[in-house]
Order: sequence, then structure tokens, then C-alpha cells
Amino acid sequence: MAIINQATKELQIKIVYYGPALCGKTTNLVQVHANVQTANPEGKGKLVSLATSSDRTLFFDFLPIEAMAIKGFKTKFQLYTVPGQVIYNTTRQLVLRGVDGIVFVADSQYDKMAENVESLANLEDNLKSLKLNLADIPYVLQFNKRDIPDVAPIEYMEYLLNNRDIQVPTFSAAAHKCEGVFETLNMITRLLLNKFINEAGRKSA
Amino acid sequence: MASLPQLLEEDIKQLDAALDDLLVKSEASAGLIIDKGGFLITQRGDVRSFDTTSLAALAAASYAATQCIAGIVSETSFNFVYQQGQNFSLLVQNVDDHCLLLVIFKANASVGAVKYFATAIISLVAEQLRIARERDPSASLDLSILNIADPSALFRKKKS
Repeated sequence: MAIINQATKELQIKIVYYGPALCGKTTNLVQVHANVQTANPEGKGKLVSLATSSDRTLFFDFLPIEAMAIKGFKTKFQLYTVPGQVIYNTTRQLVLRGVDGIVFVADSQYDKMAENVESLANLEDNLKSLKLNLADIPYVLQFNKRDIPDVAPIEYMEYLLNNRDIQVPTFSAAAHKCEGVFETLNMITRLLLNKFINEAGRKSA
Repeated sequence: MASLPQLLEEDIKQLDAALDDLLVKSEASAGLIIDKGGFLITQRGDVRSFDTTSLAALAAASYAATQCIAGIVSETSFNFVYQQGQNFSLLVQNVDDHCLLLVIFKANASVGAVKYFATAIISLVAEQLRIARERDPSASLDLSILNIADPSALFRKKKS
């Protein structure tokens, strides 16, 4: 749940990158950390990775990052990834606690489609265990690894993963080249800020 | 996002006063109040020595993992987590459903004393956070100032 600190004029928002194992969630954070332009060098925090010896995410990756100031309000984003492997489901539930927005990273390789669908269903189940509903949370889809030959067509992935009453924005990406990474991050940020503004408007109405 | 807990200056002052009191009495190095989602709410003491943003995220995760362990051994909860180090030790204690208190203290200090004084301020902190959560958001919150025309400028990729 986002926190607004009027004393320090800060808005803190939590975004979680979710998706099947080896789809590129950590790569997204690594690329944001390496390439983000910050006016204030202290605005970019350290990338913390709790990974196994074989460099697979064990608990989460964490990147605190401060966006450009908006009319005096510092917007601090905390980017998390979850471990993708099926056995770490309890860990994924822990990381989802207090989530404000989600980036679902899908692997574009044909043989990963079943894992993508299973992971999205797992996301919905885990949100339900936290009494949350995916339809109420801003989220975007990223179709990663588009630079690999013979990937599934975008239309097919849209049909599998975005075939809902309300369709969400989707982005093609090659995260290891930093293609599509910032487009995805900016869109989830935009959805989140719009949601906060609308909620504040409803409350004050 | 059922509600947006907003903390006003008066809330932060009360929380800081409680932390200052704890630090004086327990001789701890730093005190942090953190959200269970990993956000840092406020901090006092010698915080420049530590990366408190990462500390808050990791401590919240560690506490959450400990609660899962409690469930596995048929405990309803473990109310605090204590980590003993060579130079510094760390105590994470539950405040309420949403928040935690994190105290960093010298390893040679008594954890019993730190825990005693931490417990004493928990109710003060919980009460102030409850007040902050239940306050009418429309009374003081104006998020329309965030109504930006082009949010795509929020995060920019460095030019190579």
C-alpha cells in the first residue's frame, strides 16, 4: 500500500515484477539500475539481490529509485522481483504484500507459453490470498525476449494473457538490450499515478 | 489500495519523539519505523551509517518470513526478530497489522533492555499510526498536484 508522507513530501510506491522462471524479471531491474537517468545521484539506490549461488532469485531483487520530482513531491518507487520457480510460492506471496502495481513479464518463446499462463494464474491466486484482486490493481504485460528467433506472435500472446474484459497495456521487450524496459516502467508508473489521483478525487468529492 | 495512509508533520513528530525517547533510554544507535510492505516511514539516530531504505525492505521481508516459520511450527506469531552481530545487533518488533519497529544497537548492549524500552513505545507508535490511517484523507491530501501531463518523463534512459 502506497505511503504518502506529507512531512517530507514523499510518495512511496511498490511495484512488483512477476512472471515465470527465467523470463527476465531480474534483467529488467538490472537494466533500470544501469541505465536510469537521475537528476540526483542519491536518487538511485543500490540493487539488492537475494539470489542463490547459481544467480537465481531466492527471495527477491530490490531497487529503490526516485523519479523526477513532480511539483515538489518526491516520488520514491520500490521495484521488486519475485522468484519464478514454482517451489518458491510462499516467498512470492510475501513479496506481493503491500503491492501497488505489477509488471507481468512473459517469456516469448513458444515452449514457455504454458508457464506464462500458469504464472499469471498463480499471481491471481496469490493476490486472492492477500484479499486483493488483479482487476483492481494497475498492471502491465511485457512480452520479453522478442529478439530471439521463432518467438510466439504478439497476437497469440495477447490472446493467451490479455484476453479479459479490460485489456491492459502490453510491451514488446528485449530486456537484456534494455529495449522496452523503460517503456514498461513508465506505463505502470502512469497507471499508478492516475489511480491515486482518481482515488483522491473520489474521496474529496 | 483501500486507503492511502498519509502521514502529516504532526504524525512524524510524534513518531520521532517516541523513537528519540527509545534511543536515549536504551542507548541504541538507530530506530526505524517501517511498513510491512518494506517502506521506510521514519528514522532517528545514527542513520547515515546504514542504507536504511534497503534495510527497511530486507527487515520487512525477514519479519514476514519469520511469521511463516511461526505458522509451520504451530505458533500464531513470533512477535520479534533478533539478530546478533559482532558490532551491531538488530531487533525487529511488531507494532500493528501494518508496521514494524526496527532498532539497531551496539552488540555489547543488552538486548533485554532494548526490548523492554521498545515494547514501552510500541503502543504510542501504534496509536499515532491508527490516527493517521483513520484521518479523513480529503481534509489534507491534495494529490491533484501530481496531475502531470506527461508521466513518460518520470524515468528516462541515459543517452549512450
